[in-house]
Amino acid sequence: MKKVATPEYDIKDKLKYHVSALSTAAKEVVLPLNITTHYPRERKKMPDCFRGYILFDPERCISCFECSFVCPANAIWMKEAPSGRYYPTLDYGKCIFCHFCVDTCPGGALKQTKIHDVAYKDMDEMFTLTEEMIEPPEIIREDEGYVEYEIDKEDLSLKRTKGIDKLIVDVAPSQGVPMVSLCVEPESCLGCGICEGMCESGAVSSLKEDGMVRMKIDMDKCTGCGLCVKECSMQILRLVRK
Amino acid sequence: MIDINAIISTMMNNQVNIPLLQPLIEPLLGMPVIGYLIALILWKPFFVLILIPGFATMGIMLLILPWIERKMVARMQWRVGPREISPRTRGIVQLLADTLRFLFQEVIIHKDAHKLYFLQFPFLYFIPVLLPLLFINAGTAGNPLVPIQTDYALQIMVALISLMPVFILGVGWASNNRFAFIGTVREAFLYFAYEIPFIVIVLAMIVLYGTSNTVGVVNAQSGVWWGIIQNPLAALTFFIAMVMATARLPFDIPEADQEVSFGPFVEYSGIAFGLAYVMGYEKMYVLSAMMTMLFLGGGSGPEILGLGDLSCGIWFVLKTLIVLVIMVNLRGVYPRYRLDQGLRIGWGAMLILALVALGWSIVVMGVRL
Amino acid sequence: MFDANTETCEEVKKMATAIGVSEWEVKIPEKPLKDKLYFENLKAKVIDTNLCSRCLTCACVCPVDGIIATDGVEFPNYEEECTDCGACVRVCPRFVYEPKSGLGSYIEFIAGQSKRFKGQDGAMATELIVSAMEMGMIDRGLFVGRDEQWATEIFHVRDPEQLEVLPLGGTKYTFASVLPELKKAARFTKKGVGIVGTPCMVSGVRKLQQEFPFFRERIKLVVGLFCTENFHHDELTKYLKEKGVDFSKLIKTDITMGKFIATMTDGEVKFKVKALEEILPSGCNVCTDFTAVESDASVGSVGSAAGFSTVAVREENAKKIIDFIKKKGYADFGEADPAQLDFLIGHKKKREENIKRD
Repeated sequence: MKKVATPEYDIKDKLKYHVSALSTAAKEVVLPLNITTHYPRERKKMPDCFRGYILFDPERCISCFECSFVCPANAIWMKEAPSGRYYPTLDYGKCIFCHFCVDTCPGGALKQTKIHDVAYKDMDEMFTLTEEMIEPPEIIREDEGYVEYEIDKEDLSLKRTKGIDKLIVDVAPSQGVPMVSLCVEPESCLGCGICEGMCESGAVSSLKEDGMVRMKIDMDKCTGCGLCVKECSMQILRLVRK
Repeated sequence: MIDINAIISTMMNNQVNIPLLQPLIEPLLGMPVIGYLIALILWKPFFVLILIPGFATMGIMLLILPWIERKMVARMQWRVGPREISPRTRGIVQLLADTLRFLFQEVIIHKDAHKLYFLQFPFLYFIPVLLPLLFINAGTAGNPLVPIQTDYALQIMVALISLMPVFILGVGWASNNRFAFIGTVREAFLYFAYEIPFIVIVLAMIVLYGTSNTVGVVNAQSGVWWGIIQNPLAALTFFIAMVMATARLPFDIPEADQEVSFGPFVEYSGIAFGLAYVMGYEKMYVLSAMMTMLFLGGGSGPEILGLGDLSCGIWFVLKTLIVLVIMVNLRGVYPRYRLDQGLRIGWGAMLILALVALGWSIVVMGVRL
Repeated sequence: MFDANTETCEEVKKMATAIGVSEWEVKIPEKPLKDKLYFENLKAKVIDTNLCSRCLTCACVCPVDGIIATDGVEFPNYEEECTDCGACVRVCPRFVYEPKSGLGSYIEFIAGQSKRFKGQDGAMATELIVSAMEMGMIDRGLFVGRDEQWATEIFHVRDPEQLEVLPLGGTKYTFASVLPELKKAARFTKKGVGIVGTPCMVSGVRKLQQEFPFFRERIKLVVGLFCTENFHHDELTKYLKEKGVDFSKLIKTDITMGKFIATMTDGEVKFKVKALEEILPSGCNVCTDFTAVESDASVGSVGSAAGFSTVAVREENAKKIIDFIKKKGYADFGEADPAQLDFLIGHKKKREENIKRD
C-alpha cells in the first residue's frame, strides 16, 4: 500500500503561508469580492435554453403520447379533452425538469421557459391541467436587475446589470431525433390501413388496385411520432433513425 | 451594627473621577436617597465591575461581537452574512432576534439526562467565567481601576480559568448523549493541551513584572513598554492558548459542527442553548481582558479630554475589542486542527515557546537586577 | 445525419431495405360480392351458409378486433368498423372449403401415458406442450381451462409449474376461443407458441401460417385433438341439467363407445351420444376431419388402452418432442391400433354430404 505523506514545509514557508492567509483575510474584509445574488431583488441571468417551467401549445399537439412515454419520472399523464383528443397534464411534484418531453415532441408543442420559481400552496396544486399549461403562471417580479458571473482565468466576479431579464424567450423548437416509420415484415401486412388512418401528417398512404393494396410511407412527410407503430395490428412497423 | 457613615465615607473616598459629568453629579450627591445611589455607582470597584469593563460592557459586547464575527467572516468567504432582519442597518439587530427566538423555544430535557446537573451546570458555569472580572485592572500606571486589589490576583484568575472545563465536563456528562460525550472528552484533551503553556506564560509574566497584583502588572507597563514588547513570544503563546481555551477555530475541536454537532451542548435548546452560546463569548471576553491587562498595557493611551478615569476604561475596552475581533476572525482563515495535532501543538510547540518565554523573562529580570 | 433532401434519399432507401421498407404490396383475395365489405363476404359465404366451424381464426387476425364469438361468429357494427382488409377471408379455412379426412400421414402411431400430468386419458396433449417448453422449442402454450360452470377459459402457460394450480387437463365438450388469444401470444413470444386445438382450429392455424409469415415463424407446435363434434356451452349445460347432471359435483365428461358419460362425485349420468344430435352445431355437421390431419401431432383416446392417449406423430418437431419425452422418461408408451379409428373416421367422412355446394 502506497502511503502518501503529508507535505513538509520548513519554518520559513510556514510563516509565509500564515502571513499570506491572514493578509488575504484582512484584504477581503476591507475590499470584499461578493458573489451572493440578492434574490429576489436580483435574479441570476439564465441561458436561453434553461430548463424551467414548461408551456404547452395545443395547436401543435398530435396526441402521439410520446411525451408521456419518454418522461422518466412518470410526471406526464394524458387526459382526454372534449374533442376526443388526448393532451398532456404535468405533475410538477414529479417533474425533474429534464425536458425530455420538450425534446421528443414531434410537433414542438411543448416549450421551455426560464421560470424556475413557481410556488404552490399544497401538493394537489402541483398537478397542472392542460388548460393551466397554455399560459405562463402569474409572475410577480420583484427584481430590478440581473447578475451574471464572469469567470476570468482563476477569478470569479459578479457583474450587476440593471434591467429586467425576459423570462419567456422564443427558442427554436428542438428537432428531436429524426425518426421515420418502416415496415419490417411486409409479407405479414394485412393491408388493413389502420396505420394510414392514424397518420397525422399524411405520410402513410394506401392504394387499392385490382387484387392488391399498395402501401407507402413517405419519409419526407413522416414526423416519427410513432402512432402507426403503436396501432399496427400485426406490430410490423418500427421507428428508425432517419 | 453597620456603620453607614463609614461605608459612605469609604465610597466617597474612592470615586471615579469624570470631569465632564462632575457638574451633573454634584447636585445629585446632595439629594438624600439618590445621592447614596450615585455614590454607589461611582464607587470605583462597583463602577469597574458593573459598568466598564464589567458586566454592562460585556453585555453590549455580547450583542455586537457575534454580529461583527458573522459579517466579517462572511466577507472573507465572499458572502454577505445576516441582513434580512434589518436590511437598512445591515442586520445589526440579528442578535436580538436570535435572543428572542431562544427565549421562545422550549427547553427540552430528554428523559435519559441527569435533570439536576443538566440545568444547573450551565448556570454554575457562570462562576468561573465571571469571577475573574473581579481582578481586571482597567487603569493605567499610577491610576488603578480595579474592583479588588490583592497580591494573589493572577493566581486566582488562573485557577478560575482552570476550573472552567470541569463544568463543561459536567454538562457533557449530564446530557447522556454520545455526541456530547465525544465533545466533552475532546474538551478534556484540549484542556490538557493548553493548560500547561497557559500557566507557564502567566508565570513568565509574573516573573517579568515582579508582581502578581494586577495593579503592579499595569504599573510595570508604563509608557511604551507594553508586555507585548517586553516579551513578544509570551504574547503569541498566550494568544494561541486563548484560542484553544475558548474553542475557536482552528481549535474548534470540542464543538466541531461537522463532526460532533456542537459537542457538549448538543442537547440544549431554547434559553439553555442561548446560555451555552453566550458563555463562549463571555469566556472570550474575560480572557481577552486578561490579555489586554497583561500584554497591552491595560487602559493606557492618550487621554480623552474631559473623561478623566473613564478614558482608561474606554481604551481598555477598545483594546479588548481589537483582540476579540482578531480572535473571532480566525474562523474564516484557518481550517480545523485534528485532535492529535492540537495536542501535539499544545505539548510541543507551545510548551517550548512558553518555556523559552519564561527563560527570556528570567534573563531580562536578571539583567535588570 | 441525413437531412430530408432528395439527393440523400437513395442512401436512406438503401439503409431502409436493410431494416425495413417504405413501400410494399399486399395481395388481397377476390371478393365474391364485389360491392360489399370483406366481412360481409365472409358472413355471406361462410357464416350464413352454416359452414362456420367457430374456429375463430378470423377473430385472431382481425386488425380492429371486431369479430367476436357469441352464439355464432359475428362482427357488431361492421359497417363502420370493418377496414375491408380481407384478412378474415384469407385465413378462413371454410371460405374456399377443401375438406380433409382420413387418418393422415404419420411418422409414429403410439399410445402414451404421462407420468406427471392427469388429463382425460393419458394427458399426452399437455405432456407434449410442456415438454416442448422444457426443450426450449416454445416459451408459451395456450391451454384451455374451465371454471366452476364448466365454461371454457384460455390460459397462457409459460412455466410448467402453472399447471399445478390451474384446472387445465381434461376434455371440455364446449367451444373454446383459443385462436383470438394466439395473436397476443404470438406478438410477445420470443421462442415460439404451442397450441392444442380441434381439427377446425388446426386448419385455421395452417391457413394463418400460409398467408402470414408472422404466424409461420412464431407458431412452433400445433397439437390436434381427435374430434367428432363440439357444442355450444349454454346449449350443452341446459341439456345436461335436464338429464340430471349437477355441475357443482361434476368431475369428468367422456364420450366413449357411443355413450356420453358424465362422472360426478356421487354418481354418473350416461346416455347415448346420438341423443345430442339435436344440439349439434351446424359447423360441425359439415366437418369431415376426425384426426386433425394437418397438425404436427394428433392426440385422442380412441385406439389405445384405458388410461392411455393415442398419439399420431406427424411432423419432425413432434417426433423430437416424443424422443425427448422418451429420453426423460416423462411418459409410458405402449401400442396403439389405427384400425380402431376407422369407424369414427368413416362416420365423419359421411358428413361431406352435408356440404351444400353452390
